[in-house]
Amino acid sequence: MLRIEHLSKTFDAIKAVDDITLEVQKGEIFGLLGPNGAGKTTAISMIAGLLKPDSGKIAIDSMDIENNLRSIKKIMGVVPQDMAFYEELSGRENLLFWGKLQGVRGKILDARIDAYLKATGLLGRERDLVKKYSGGMKRRINLIIGLIHQPKLLLLDEPTIGIDIQTRLNIYNLIKEASNQETTILYTTHNLQEAEELCHRIAIMDHGKILALGTLEELIQIVGEKDIIIIKGQFSVNQGRNITALFKDVTVLSIKEGILMLSLEASKKMPLLLEEFFKQGIGVDDVAIKQPNLESVFLKLTGRELRE
Amino acid sequence: MKNTLLLIRKDFRRKWRNPVVLIGFLLLPVVFTFIFGIVFGSTEEQILPQVPVLVADRDTSILSQFFLTALSQGELKKLMTIEVVEEERGRKLLDKGKASALLIIPENFGDDAWEGRRTELLLLKNPSEQFLPQIAEEIVDTATILFSAVFSVFADEVGVLRNVIAKGSFTDLAVADLSIRIKNRIEGVGRFVFPPVISLKQQTISEKEEESSSISVYGHILPAIAMMFLLFICNIVFEDTLREKEKGTLLRMNVSPMMLPEFIWSKILTSALIGMLCTLVLIVIGRIIFSIYWGNIFLLLLIIICLNIMFAGFIAFIYSFIHTERQAGAVLPSVILVMSMLGGSMMPVENFPSFIQKISQFTLNYWGLKAFHKAIQKDPFHDFIPILVGMLGVGIVFSFVGSYFMQRNLRKGLLK
Repeated sequence: MLRIEHLSKTFDAIKAVDDITLEVQKGEIFGLLGPNGAGKTTAISMIAGLLKPDSGKIAIDSMDIENNLRSIKKIMGVVPQDMAFYEELSGRENLLFWGKLQGVRGKILDARIDAYLKATGLLGRERDLVKKYSGGMKRRINLIIGLIHQPKLLLLDEPTIGIDIQTRLNIYNLIKEASNQETTILYTTHNLQEAEELCHRIAIMDHGKILALGTLEELIQIVGEKDIIIIKGQFSVNQGRNITALFKDVTVLSIKEGILMLSLEASKKMPLLLEEFFKQGIGVDDVAIKQPNLESVFLKLTGRELRE
Repeated sequence: MKNTLLLIRKDFRRKWRNPVVLIGFLLLPVVFTFIFGIVFGSTEEQILPQVPVLVADRDTSILSQFFLTALSQGELKKLMTIEVVEEERGRKLLDKGKASALLIIPENFGDDAWEGRRTELLLLKNPSEQFLPQIAEEIVDTATILFSAVFSVFADEVGVLRNVIAKGSFTDLAVADLSIRIKNRIEGVGRFVFPPVISLKQQTISEKEEESSSISVYGHILPAIAMMFLLFICNIVFEDTLREKEKGTLLRMNVSPMMLPEFIWSKILTSALIGMLCTLVLIVIGRIIFSIYWGNIFLLLLIIICLNIMFAGFIAFIYSFIHTERQAGAVLPSVILVMSMLGGSMMPVENFPSFIQKISQFTLNYWGLKAFHKAIQKDPFHDFIPILVGMLGVGIVFSFVGSYFMQRNLRKGLLK
């Protein structure tokens, strides 16, 4: 459904997207995971036709985006981070407007609006002006606008920022439902739990590059059975490096003054490692153990936490 | 086209839901007109207040008295109030701004006039006032010319009259002699004077005819101020363009099958249509509240259409160089206010120096006002054609140029 080959984009000598290649299948929910500035939004903007790539190719539904942008726009939906709709219109009026703009009209549009309003619990409030809606209700309207024309490809740019759990689950359900109806979804987020829960496959991006791509299980394989350990204390970079050099099967992911990030089998190596710290008279303030999950994968690949 | 109509409908609905600013801009011209109307008077006769003129009569002859009486008679009495004062006091009052002008009648004014010698009246104008001293000057100037003309044509008769007055011998014979002399003089110059080149035709006119020919003070003020506020109303619609860019709705539309030119043209058309509706409302208010007779309805509609297309195109053009709401907030009011001032929305163009009057002709307000005044004055249709074609042409050219540059401008700023 979506094929990207060697896509690159540079802004003022900064490579925002650096030679990325990926393919997303019909009905798949594909997560694009990365911290702010990783290049996710630039990539999604090029896929949406808002930015021209410096090099590389994008094809959607076997159509080259460069030559078929107008046709592609008809089968594509976008849900931006911003609440991109009109506060002075009611929920229904907004959906009618955006639906018609996408070419859906008449009874079909009315029926879809009713169905989505019902599914999101907004039925009964649809004639209220959107400015009177809560944040969660606005998020739901924002998502429905992207879905109203039942696009073949839906681009979701962090659609669950700042909402309560109930709304979040509601939005997940809608996305899963759309996926079941063979809508391909490209989902950018920096929420690891969200990516784990929703996405069939995930690409981890940083500094414009795709560092790893696969299913959750495949990505966790990168870390293997090892845990991620974060030790905080009063030690220098050299002290941290010297201590870890004493142990085999311990991989240093990153080391800064007072913070050491390691990959190791915690149950076997942890007591010995801490003992070495104490032997050398180095105070340890905090130890965190992370089981193999997407976060530990991200830590291993980038050497930093996603929120940094 | 379908998308453009959809966008226009959406914008109309939004404005309908949030009409406060629009209503404000509609009410302001009405309020301003009402206030100015009260200040300057609502009828043709009361357009200007009476001009206070002080007179210092150094001569105090029968002729100077006659001249002063002439200034405070008939129609002139409505325009000026004459107060005879000592010269010194008159100068002090003028310094204090208590009068618009001080007229000094020189010594020997009467004798010089009787003898046919050149004599000069001195008019001191209040420098702190602009219009009223000008009016006083015009009136005194005209009276002086008439006075001079009488003394030149009836020089002999004036001599006889002077002797009669000097001797104090108002006998029947003297009066009869003077009458015959004047009759002969009038008959002598009669072929030049009669029939008069300029005549005053007096007739009782119906209310409708009165409406058709004269522009009341409201007829001057309402269209003038409306021009300025219509530009502000156009601006409201285009401000929305930047707001849509900022909010992300434009980006979202740009990912839909809608094309950017459709969006821009929807704004131009919405702006023109809202402008037309607002102009219509102001015209109806003008008719009902201020009794302004606007002339031919068909012509008026043409003016409304052309005017608002011109305004919308112009504002679109300005917006094609503006990137943020902050820039718009700084640039647009300045452009509109300066253009309105130069174009006659704040004071009549006729009061400007001639070089500014030439600049005025390059403003949109000037042409809009001209069209409305012509409509009120019931000018023939062929007089309107160049103005209407000009307004429409300017509007269309500005719209296309503005649309082209605005596309480039908006594309650049779509992604934050």
